[in-house]
Amino acid sequence: MDGASLKILIADDTPTNLKQLEIVSRRAGHQPILAADGETAVALYQSESPDLVFMDIMMPGMDGIEAVQRIRALPTEKWTPIVFYSALDSMQDILRGLQAGGDDYLVKPASTQLLQAKLNAYARLLTLQQKELGYIEELKSWRQEAEEQARLGAHVMARLTDAEGLCDPMVESFNLPAETFSGDLLCAARGPGEVLNVMLADAAGHGLSAALSAMPLTQAFYSMTAKGFPLTSIAEELNRKLKAILPADRFVAATLASVDVRNQTVEVWNGGNPDAAFLTVDGKVSMQWASSHPPLGILPPALFSGVSETVVFHEPGQLVLCSDGLVEAENPDGRWLGLAGSLDLLLGAADPTLRFAALRAGLERHLSGRPGRDDISCMLVQVPIERRRAVRIAAPAPVHRGHVEEWRLGLTFSASELRYIDVVPAVVGIMTQVQALKPHQGSLFLVISELFNNALDHGLLGLDSSTKNLIGGWEIYMQHRAERLAGLDNGSINLSFLVHEEEDRAVLDIDVADSGPGFDHEAWRQRLESAADENRTHGRGLALVRGLCADLKFPGAGNRVWARYLL
Amino acid sequence: MQIASAVADNRATLSLNGRFDFHSHRDFRAAYESLLEQAGVREIEVNFRGVDYLDSSALGMLLLLREKAESTGKNVALSGCHGTVKQVLDIANFGKLFSVKG
Repeated sequence: MDGASLKILIADDTPTNLKQLEIVSRRAGHQPILAADGETAVALYQSESPDLVFMDIMMPGMDGIEAVQRIRALPTEKWTPIVFYSALDSMQDILRGLQAGGDDYLVKPASTQLLQAKLNAYARLLTLQQKELGYIEELKSWRQEAEEQARLGAHVMARLTDAEGLCDPMVESFNLPAETFSGDLLCAARGPGEVLNVMLADAAGHGLSAALSAMPLTQAFYSMTAKGFPLTSIAEELNRKLKAILPADRFVAATLASVDVRNQTVEVWNGGNPDAAFLTVDGKVSMQWASSHPPLGILPPALFSGVSETVVFHEPGQLVLCSDGLVEAENPDGRWLGLAGSLDLLLGAADPTLRFAALRAGLERHLSGRPGRDDISCMLVQVPIERRRAVRIAAPAPVHRGHVEEWRLGLTFSASELRYIDVVPAVVGIMTQVQALKPHQGSLFLVISELFNNALDHGLLGLDSSTKNLIGGWEIYMQHRAERLAGLDNGSINLSFLVHEEEDRAVLDIDVADSGPGFDHEAWRQRLESAADENRTHGRGLALVRGLCADLKFPGAGNRVWARYLL
Repeated sequence: MQIASAVADNRATLSLNGRFDFHSHRDFRAAYESLLEQAGVREIEVNFRGVDYLDSSALGMLLLLREKAESTGKNVALSGCHGTVKQVLDIANFGKLFSVKG
């Protein structure tokens, strides 16, 4: 149909009637198609696909009634009005015509004006129908496009989220989308010092637009975790990235956590998510980390705070993170599951290892088979106590003579840089560019963090490790550390590294010196030899370095340490 | 959601009623846009007394209002926060972004 010009099929065995309708049609700008009997009418209907049909009843061969019945039996997607135009004028005839599939019935003879008016009325209806079909087509293609976008979104999200991290034996999680896929993002990855970092991010809204806001987070989270950056720096970088990319009304609520089994600490940064919680094995909630920051992507970097809260755990337990979709999950009566309800479900399990399954099952019961209004996600991290734990770092094959070139790096950081640079990840980042060092990233990170932190904490900041042994001591220690570091205005730390060959073996010599007064390393050595007090939280660091290195010496006044690491 | 708008002296108040969620987008924008154009208005107060639910898109709309208001030298304040609404605003730490009145 072209504009208001219709194709009109006219079936009549009387030439004058045919002529009358043909003239009326042409005058109104339409295109008449003529048939003198029912059979021809059906054939033309199929080949021409008209928009409107005028049908006589009494015709030789197939009559109009049968012709209309056949036409109505044909498969069709559009409505084609059929108007009977017949000399038969009894009520019975009219009913028979309408029952056969006619839409209207005109009795012959009808005036040209009446025919014209009927034709105009149908033209209006058909134009409306055409518009509607257009809308339906448009909707169909929108839908197709939306499905295609969702498919692509789900694919990209899945690729951006490293599923391997979530398969960590310490991690359990679920992510139930409100739409085809979730705007909640769950990530887990190990840092070089064996620290496990996790992130549960919930972008405003749901579906593709939400997922799009969360996507930029993955890469920064994984790469900064792999390089061993502290949680605070990761939070700052994620915020900076989102603030630069997202419009003002988009943001991402996130909980970041770092679980350090070696130091028995759990560190959490929560911006905009429900409380993170630490559950003890015997069924208590021993710590809740409420949201203490706005979500990521709102504040400009200068106003953003990556300050996290760290606790030392003294018994094994589980860290639980969730999105507000879990808290606001509604049962059929509209009641929310709530944070307390979620924790009750977890703690209601018969066995601590079944807690996550119990939450999942309880959530299913609560929802009663209906999908959530919002994406619902939750992550549980097992936090074990492993005091006598050996460092699980696979030793790479030794590098033999002729395979290593001499390589040197010397760096000096003064107080003003020490206040804001993440020295260890930065230095290890440079070192692991060197091929001979790359396979040793994990061990080197541990060794260098230990030596550097000793130089900074004890050499320059004058902190006393024994504070950590007091109840709540770690928190006090970390608070003092932050305060003194912020106030540090002189002193420096020197790091130098030398890769070379020594008696057929490639080795890395590490030399760390600080400008502080030095510490009594002899006393430390004696304590280490004698004491079986591996329950203490301090002093284990240097013991670890000694285990990973071939040699450890304190030349000078105890403000310098030298370690040889075999490659 | 219904929105009533009132201006007294140099302060405008948007009183919201009902569920403030992604369906409220057009109405909320229409309500604050005319206020942004009024040079005499120094502060826009969003009153939540009649609001029973607030979702993350609503938080986004508040942030957008805040940005637009700041660019025309106006302040945005939140008032009448209670129950669930207060909880949602607290979790998002909106107290650090807006002035919040009782």
